[in-house]
Amino acid sequence: MRGYQAGDFSAARSLIEQVSPRLLRFFLSQSTSRSDAEDLVQETWLRIHRVRHTYRPGESVMAWSYAIARHARLDHYRRVVRTSAQQERLDEGIEPLAIAPEQDESEDELEAMLAPLSEGQREIIEMLKVAGMSLEEVARATCTTVGAVKQKVHRAYKILRKTIAPDGLKRRASGGLA
Amino acid sequence: MKDTDIDRAFSSATRVPHELDPALLDQIADSIKLSLRPVRAMPPSWVLTGGLMLTLLAVALAGAARAGFGGFESLRPLERLLIFGAGGALVLATARGVVSEAVPGSRRDLSSGTLLGVSCAGLISVFALLFHDYRSEHFVSAGVICLITGLLHSIPIAALSWLILRRGFAVDPSSAATAGGTLAGLGGLMMLELHCANLETLHVMVWHTAVVAVSGGCGALVGMLIGRYRRGR
Repeated sequence: MRGYQAGDFSAARSLIEQVSPRLLRFFLSQSTSRSDAEDLVQETWLRIHRVRHTYRPGESVMAWSYAIARHARLDHYRRVVRTSAQQERLDEGIEPLAIAPEQDESEDELEAMLAPLSEGQREIIEMLKVAGMSLEEVARATCTTVGAVKQKVHRAYKILRKTIAPDGLKRRASGGLA
Repeated sequence: MKDTDIDRAFSSATRVPHELDPALLDQIADSIKLSLRPVRAMPPSWVLTGGLMLTLLAVALAGAARAGFGGFESLRPLERLLIFGAGGALVLATARGVVSEAVPGSRRDLSSGTLLGVSCAGLISVFALLFHDYRSEHFVSAGVICLITGLLHSIPIAALSWLILRRGFAVDPSSAATAGGTLAGLGGLMMLELHCANLETLHVMVWHTAVVAVSGGCGALVGMLIGRYRRGR
């Protein structure tokens, strides 16, 4: 990150290669289609590049980049809602054509596990369990407190305990994805 | 089903890494290549927080120096200690909140809405504890003058705070501006406590605290407009 701030292109390239797959997974876990998720990764990088001076050495790169990614997603979501509301008004009476987003097997698996959770819970579980961030990093990325993160995780696990069937778990744990 | 089983299920479901199209990575790298120049990282939070607090103090003192220190002179030592002690603590907490709003991924102790609520409730409690003169002469006319004076001092504090944090990036403009408005309002209130010699309980509780509430509310409104503008671009 310091190299990126110093204007070193190879450092920037290496950072893009390390962070982008995590960002993609983050966007995919939020029920976004792959093409939208890729657009959001690009949009996030444009924002990261514009505000790269706001990263302070010693801080968590993941918390910083996820905080930016999270709001890129929120802005995208608000734009989609606004556009679809306008589209709905235009398309009244016309049957919409349903197009299923392309997803690979691992995306399906994760999507199925996170499906019963609310948007906020998914976001936090994704950061903690998929991206491997600490509670402190998640709190920073989501602009909230560690206590609030713990509470959301507790509630999410309460739901997951009921919805993940033991046989389904066995299938996943035995390497059904590999 | 135990939590460890759920953790195991997650680690199994996420074992396969998400491949990104190398062309997309190239595209991202190319898009930033042309504008890749060295940048200076923002100063540490304590420097920015200190800058905000000094700005607030300077504006409040300058305002009181121009209008007079009648309020400070009419307070007893214990009242001075409690009012400016509580005010200072609220200013510190709010300045920290404003800085954390301006830097993505910063640690946050309280949300900006909570800061506004705690500031108003804390001030009302301190005033209720200290002042017991329940007369209310010229309640509205005297109150409106104090409200306007406080808000007029909040404006330069808000402008100077923006100047200090102009290199920051508020991921949530509405929340950042609410915190900024609360800080500016606290500056206006500090000026009033130094200047206003009217110690009637209702006057101080309603009109002095209203400076913080109105300033915070205006901040929230401005933040919402900035957010809309940003999304519309």
